[in-house]
Amino acid sequence: MTGEADLVITEALEGASTAAVAVRVRDLTVTFPTPDGPLPAVAGVSLELAPGAITGLVGESGSGKSTLALTLLNAVPAPGHVAAGEVRVDGIGDVLALRRAELRRARGAKLGYVFQASQNSLNPLKPVGKQLLDLGRSHGVRDRRALLHRARQLMDKMGMDAARVLASYQHELSGGMRQRVGIVFALVLNAHVLILDEPTTALDMLSQAAVLDIIRKVHREHHLTTLIISHDVGVIGDLADRMAVMYAGRIVEEGPTASVLADPMHPYTRGLLTAMPRISGDIGAARPLPGRPPDLTSIPRQGCVFRPRCPLATDDCAAAEPPDTVLSNTGLRDRRFACYVTAGELS
Amino acid sequence: MIEARGITRTFAARRGMLGRGGVRALRGVDVAIPDRGAVSFIGESGCGKTTLGRILCGLEDFDGGDLVIDGQSMTTLKPKERAPHYRRIQLIHQDPYTALNPTRTISQILTDPLRLRAGQTGAGGTWVTGRRAQLLELVGLDPDYVLPRYPHMLSGGMRQRVVIARALTVDPVALVADEAVSMIDVSLRLGILQLLRDLRTQLRVSVLFITHDVATARYVGHGGELYVLYRGTVVERGPTDALIASPVHPYTQSLLSAIPVLRGIELPAPDRVVPTGPLDEHADVPGCLFEPRCPFTAPGCRDQPPPLVPLDGSPQGQAHAHACLYPARRSVVPAPTVPGNAPADPARGPQP
Amino acid sequence: MTATTALTPEQLQRGLRRSRQRTARRWALLVNTPGRALSCLILVVFALLAIVGPYLYPANLPINPKNIYAPPSPAHLLGTDFEGADTLALIVTGARYVLFAAALAALITVVIGTTAGLAAGYYPGLAGSAIMRVTDFVLAIPGFPVLLVLATIWNFGSLWEMAVALGVFGWGGIARAVRAQTLSLRERGFVEAARGLGLPGGHIIRTEILPNVAPYIGMNLMLQLTGFIYVEVGLFFLGAVPYSTNNWGVMLNNAVFQANAVTSPRALAYLLSPLICILLITIALVTLANAVDEFFNPRLRRVR
Repeated sequence: MTGEADLVITEALEGASTAAVAVRVRDLTVTFPTPDGPLPAVAGVSLELAPGAITGLVGESGSGKSTLALTLLNAVPAPGHVAAGEVRVDGIGDVLALRRAELRRARGAKLGYVFQASQNSLNPLKPVGKQLLDLGRSHGVRDRRALLHRARQLMDKMGMDAARVLASYQHELSGGMRQRVGIVFALVLNAHVLILDEPTTALDMLSQAAVLDIIRKVHREHHLTTLIISHDVGVIGDLADRMAVMYAGRIVEEGPTASVLADPMHPYTRGLLTAMPRISGDIGAARPLPGRPPDLTSIPRQGCVFRPRCPLATDDCAAAEPPDTVLSNTGLRDRRFACYVTAGELS
Repeated sequence: MIEARGITRTFAARRGMLGRGGVRALRGVDVAIPDRGAVSFIGESGCGKTTLGRILCGLEDFDGGDLVIDGQSMTTLKPKERAPHYRRIQLIHQDPYTALNPTRTISQILTDPLRLRAGQTGAGGTWVTGRRAQLLELVGLDPDYVLPRYPHMLSGGMRQRVVIARALTVDPVALVADEAVSMIDVSLRLGILQLLRDLRTQLRVSVLFITHDVATARYVGHGGELYVLYRGTVVERGPTDALIASPVHPYTQSLLSAIPVLRGIELPAPDRVVPTGPLDEHADVPGCLFEPRCPFTAPGCRDQPPPLVPLDGSPQGQAHAHACLYPARRSVVPAPTVPGNAPADPARGPQP
Repeated sequence: MTATTALTPEQLQRGLRRSRQRTARRWALLVNTPGRALSCLILVVFALLAIVGPYLYPANLPINPKNIYAPPSPAHLLGTDFEGADTLALIVTGARYVLFAAALAALITVVIGTTAGLAAGYYPGLAGSAIMRVTDFVLAIPGFPVLLVLATIWNFGSLWEMAVALGVFGWGGIARAVRAQTLSLRERGFVEAARGLGLPGGHIIRTEILPNVAPYIGMNLMLQLTGFIYVEVGLFFLGAVPYSTNNWGVMLNNAVFQANAVTSPRALAYLLSPLICILLITIALVTLANAVDEFFNPRLRRVR
């Protein structure tokens, strides 16, 4: 077991390419206890991360996207609790069924997670290099030199002065640098799946563009399967091959990014795109979205969750949640959305 | 009319690990904000735009230059005399969560400044309650819903509207919105931007909009001017739409190049400008401040800081000015795809 | 385009009812575990004892010289003291001094400390430095030894005098904590906005800063109470302050030095009763200190 991680790193150094990995989330429901009883922050979500592709998840506050991201690592913070569903990763099985030791091995070595810049996931009391060695030690890596070498390679690729960064403390690095260090940590054990939670939220435009370029490069060169979670449609629209739109704990629309943005099917997606300030296009065409995003307790318990804000709502929408409508086009991968009205219009 | 003339501000050095010289946050900035105008400041973090906004509100001192509010120079007044003038320029904070006292209801938050005002003008209690309701409706909130609540019971967008209503209680002539929508959900941002736009026309209020997200600057109203700041100097300024469409300074171009391109509905611009290195706040540079990072650096750029000059051929009013020795128009902003074309996966533009 | 559509009266009522429920739930934090409920009960019982205790017994307790240091019996549930007076009666009547003196002292420290801290924090220039020099001086004074020395020249045995003596030397900690909080609150958005709107300094300190400092004072207060109880009991136990009215410290002094309760088994009840009372109150205060923190700081709350 201890030799396994060394072998993996040596392979990477020798340039052996590893096949891309698929991640399948099925009917995932995560609940939190409230004074009104347990309520779902993520309700019946199914999502597939296509191997080798960048998938983007767009959602505002209260959409459940961060909870979903943590669930992929089986790291839902207490008192949250996974009520149903599974997260299948090629080569690992169901992440939610792993026992503690296996889970620890999977995290970091197979699944890389990059936290939001503002969460300062780096230890403020230790230099970056030491934390890297801690990471290796906790995964049973014996060859520390190989680990550092790999980290240096990654840092060079990202345009950082590796020697300086490894010796620095967290507060000596800028926001953009910290985010890049986070990516290095996520990849240094040769993870196949990279999950980035709000990777550019606290960064200004230039740092954001630099980090997005790095994500693109690293994804390509290491044949990763990447999931990016953001409230910023621009980031997803630029980076992701496929995108999913999350609202009130449900995925309301999903498909190839260009297709979803050019021809949105769900009223929320349409409303969001119309309400987004854009650098080009007619500013007179922009319309704000009425109402506000719901929090856990104000999500409608019955019927479509978007109904209170939807301009197209009908009585049918109040009765039950709309099922997924799946469109298969030749030449394009599947698109799906959950709306009675649009489904009715298309048939 | 609010004018900043040659404002400089240096922050003292911090001792300890970083022990270098002080940071020059502003190096002689000239800004003119006309009545009912809309001026936007854009730039990276650390360019001085927030400092300038706070100086205009009177929340920070400045070391050199002058600030003239409606013809009255602030440096000729004693500190106590300045307060009533600065009060007419109100700051809208970035963070609606800390801008309101969590232990007081919205009713109390709005009544305090109104009562102060009533005391000065001799108006009575009915004026206070009436004006309170009027201001809430002006910012798009229902008084019955909002007044009895505490701030944590409102959404970020609603809180920011309350902050704006509170700023309006003193009948300001200008609002300084410092990243006013960056901490609000995307679907709620447009509402606040349109509110700021409407306030310009409905009241005699001008808006100074500080942001790093250039797209939002377009929505604060037409007739606006955009100032691009870099390390405490203005490197380019001009009418918002003209500047976005054809910037001439490489720094402006790099900011606009950094804007993400939405696949399927936008095409990447033909040109892309990327700075050659990260920002060094402490670097002492004899010539152009952007030169160490500029991909188009040329002889002469290191000799002297380029002055801010009008662009040849720009109209007199709201001139387009820049501070570059070799300005060049480059097309760096993504354009919307032509409607009717099938959304293709566009190839990215050439790398520098 | 409005952000809120006009609400129907029913919706308005429902919203307000929900916020009232939320307030009720906050107060319920004080009793939501068995430990906390018990602590509240303990404090309530002792508070009642302190208030009404002395009225339940005659001013001079009946003594019985033939029955000194008696063990617990049905007639005397906790035994008797060196004069034959009932220990239970002594506990009940002694509660008032101990608790009132501690409470008054705490009140004095809160008033002085908060005022000093707010002023020093909000006006950090010359005024603030001057106040902090005085605060540092007070903090540097070693409380208990100084009180011992003071006791030789001033007999502060009466309730009010004891409270003043304790309070005057004890406000340094609160002043420091309040000043630190005030300094940080001063830079907060809503305080800056209040200044920018022209609201006067006194108003800002009272309505913007003070309510946000209250949580720190609340917690500090509960822990200070335990400190003051120890100090006054300690002073009486050591005999530094002579016997004025009956209180637990005096009981301990008698039990240890007169009845030799530490070495001989008789008068054990007389020794343990005040000790256990003090212990119960301390545990109750510390347990509730956590609840007070959660009361003011919603993020600490765990749904149970």
